[in-house]
Amino acid sequence: MANLQKIYSDIDFTFTKKPVTADVALSYDQQAVTRSIRNLLLTNHYERPFNPDLGAGVGALLFEPMNSLTSSQLESTIHTAITNYEPRAILKSVVVSPLLDKNSYGVTITFFLQNATQATTISVILERNR
Amino acid sequence: MAGANSNIQITDLDFNSIKNNLKTFLKSQDTLKDYNYEGSALSVLLDILAYNTQYQAFYTNMAANEMFLDSAIQRSSVVSLAKSLGYTPKSVIAPTATVNIVVNGVNASTPQLVLPSHTQLMSEAINGVNYTFVTTDTMFADTNFATSTATFPNVQIKQGIPASSSILVNNAVNPTSLIEINNSNIDTTTLQVTVQQSSSNSDYQIFNLADSYLTLDGNSKVYFLQEGIDGNYQIYFGDGVLGQQLSDGNIVTVNYISSSGIAAAGANNFVIMNPINGYSNITVSPVVAASQGAAKETIDSIKFHAPKAFAAQKRAVSKEDYINAIQNNNLGYNFDAVNVWGGQENNPPVYGQVMISVKPTGAYTLTQNQKNLLAKDVIEPISMVTVVPTFVDPDYTYLQLTTNVWYDPKKTNLTPNQLQTSIKNAIASYAATSLNTFNSYFSLTDFNKVVSNVNQSIVSNEMEVKIQKKIYPNLGAPTTYNLEFGVPLAKGFFQSSVTSSPAIQYRDATITSSVIDGVFIEEVPSSTGGVDSISVLNPGFNYIAAPTITIKGDGTGATAYAVLSGTNTIKQIVVTNPGTGYTSAIAVVTPAPGDSTGQAGAVQVNLQGRYGTLRAYYNNTSSVKTTLNNNVGTIDYQSGVITLNSFSPIAVDTPLGQLTVTATPTTTLLSSNYNKIITVDPFDSSAIIVNVYAKT
Repeated sequence: MANLQKIYSDIDFTFTKKPVTADVALSYDQQAVTRSIRNLLLTNHYERPFNPDLGAGVGALLFEPMNSLTSSQLESTIHTAITNYEPRAILKSVVVSPLLDKNSYGVTITFFLQNATQATTISVILERNR
Repeated sequence: MAGANSNIQITDLDFNSIKNNLKTFLKSQDTLKDYNYEGSALSVLLDILAYNTQYQAFYTNMAANEMFLDSAIQRSSVVSLAKSLGYTPKSVIAPTATVNIVVNGVNASTPQLVLPSHTQLMSEAINGVNYTFVTTDTMFADTNFATSTATFPNVQIKQGIPASSSILVNNAVNPTSLIEINNSNIDTTTLQVTVQQSSSNSDYQIFNLADSYLTLDGNSKVYFLQEGIDGNYQIYFGDGVLGQQLSDGNIVTVNYISSSGIAAAGANNFVIMNPINGYSNITVSPVVAASQGAAKETIDSIKFHAPKAFAAQKRAVSKEDYINAIQNNNLGYNFDAVNVWGGQENNPPVYGQVMISVKPTGAYTLTQNQKNLLAKDVIEPISMVTVVPTFVDPDYTYLQLTTNVWYDPKKTNLTPNQLQTSIKNAIASYAATSLNTFNSYFSLTDFNKVVSNVNQSIVSNEMEVKIQKKIYPNLGAPTTYNLEFGVPLAKGFFQSSVTSSPAIQYRDATITSSVIDGVFIEEVPSSTGGVDSISVLNPGFNYIAAPTITIKGDGTGATAYAVLSGTNTIKQIVVTNPGTGYTSAIAVVTPAPGDSTGQAGAVQVNLQGRYGTLRAYYNNTSSVKTTLNNNVGTIDYQSGVITLNSFSPIAVDTPLGQLTVTATPTTTLLSSNYNKIITVDPFDSSAIIVNVYAKT
């Protein structure tokens, strides 16, 4: 990203400190939005106080039979969550592909940041671990 | 970071408002900008902060609320706050009935029978449940050898099952010997506390409830009562300074009755469960039906009564002190309403007396025994020595409401009968809440509103109000009854405005062996009256002799004369003949013949009409109305008093012997004061009559 002016700034989820100022580390723009989307996807409904709708609820879908129906349901769930709760991202595509031999889903989310010309792509593997 | 929004609003208690306040605060800086995006780490932090703030705010708010009697919600908090005001919440109160118990077939070998306390009786079914009642005291009865019976008269029985608990005193562990009575149905007025010396010494002493701390010392045999945190009652003992402290090894036994409260009220027929002294041929006859029961005092009631009890400081000085003392009596009596006023307000005034009128729960009047106990045990210990309590029975005025309702059948799916029933219920329920107590008032407008709000289909309604007095005449003994309706009564012109029901029986005045049945009382119709009095408007002056008074009007025969004062003015007018048939009249003052100086005298005629007469009549064998007695009493229309003079029917044609006299008030705004209660009799099916007409 070439823009010098940072539009978005958030506390870093890792809560590490900046080496120089010893203040809490911040994340900006693309990184901030990417982490926010990740956070949204990993949040289940009723998890945040007084905001039961927030979250994607992907956890429950990972325990459904692994097939194209579930993966398209995952797609739409992720799509809805980002559209509703992450206005900073202009969503271009959400692709969920079942990785049958790994018993997990590959998720690729492509979005534009407001005011940015270059698309950002997040690729994550969703795997149930219990 | 400083800016216009650098102050955080801290007054909100709602989660979203708190979070918004934090966001408003963050707007004043530009280091962290993502507070508005739900997925951001900052938003998660704000959620946690707001949740924590709200949690703390709620907790602080609740804790503060529970600290004050007005705002406390938890029963334990209210009870604890009431305790600091010296108020113990009232427990369940067992309904009390009185019965006569007669043991039959007693033989000569038992000259005296014993009816132990807590002897069990079973009541008739009340709402499908038979309740256990128990005797409260041990009673003795001598055998009547002539009839081979023994009678226990006026035995007081209370609904409930006897229960008890006991502890061994151990001062090291439990220094005040606190006993928690784990029974939410305990009637604390039935508590009997005994302390036995030890397991090897069966001597025991009775301890009483401490009610006044002024008279206590280290030897007072008292216990203290309180409600604990979990709603159970606790009793505990003194510390050797205020009340006797118990010694190690003492055995405390607490006996009480566990009652179902008001559920058993109304029970009147009982059977005894066990033989008395081996005799099982026992007759139990009702004297007074079970009444006075109550449920455990509610939180609202505690909040209401505790500050008032504290304000009275166990002294009866003001009217409210008396009312509170009577309402919070420790005799277990329960009252729907209490009214108190000074005797000086009576007509004629009675000085040095306080008049008390009480409507007991589930009954109309107190028994003499209850009045005596209330005066002796409740009022006299706390009232001024010179003030004598006097009980006045409530004087009930019953309403008879006839309502005509027009409704639009297109606007409702209720049948006329259903509509009729719901209107009747609405009137009865409004009457039960707005009337039926002292210092209440009946407003026709309010009742009309209640009726029109019952259903949207009601187009119009009108209500006719009659007022009734119910008496139990002394049969066969001439007695004078004053029925005070308390409002001016309407005079009947074409028909009687006073009726009586049911029929009564009279002995024939001439043939005393014969009885005339079907006798009713009504107003003697009087179209117009005579001259009642003439009042002087202007006494005039310079009269040498008494002027002539001439009465002119539409009637005939009225005559009067004037009386002069010492200063040659008219002092008064004396009516010598009231005449008859006047509906309007004037009186002309003419100076006596030869009196040329007297002038300016003016007078005003007052026609009769304040008083009316009652007669007794019956319909003879050919259904012709026949007057039995032309003057059985009078009606004072103005003050609303019907007097039955030397009234002596020999029977009233109803099982209870109750005679109802109905009159029509001139006003539809009725109020009750002193011992008057306006009510709609829930047991009278004709008290509320509703006619519904479909609008065509």
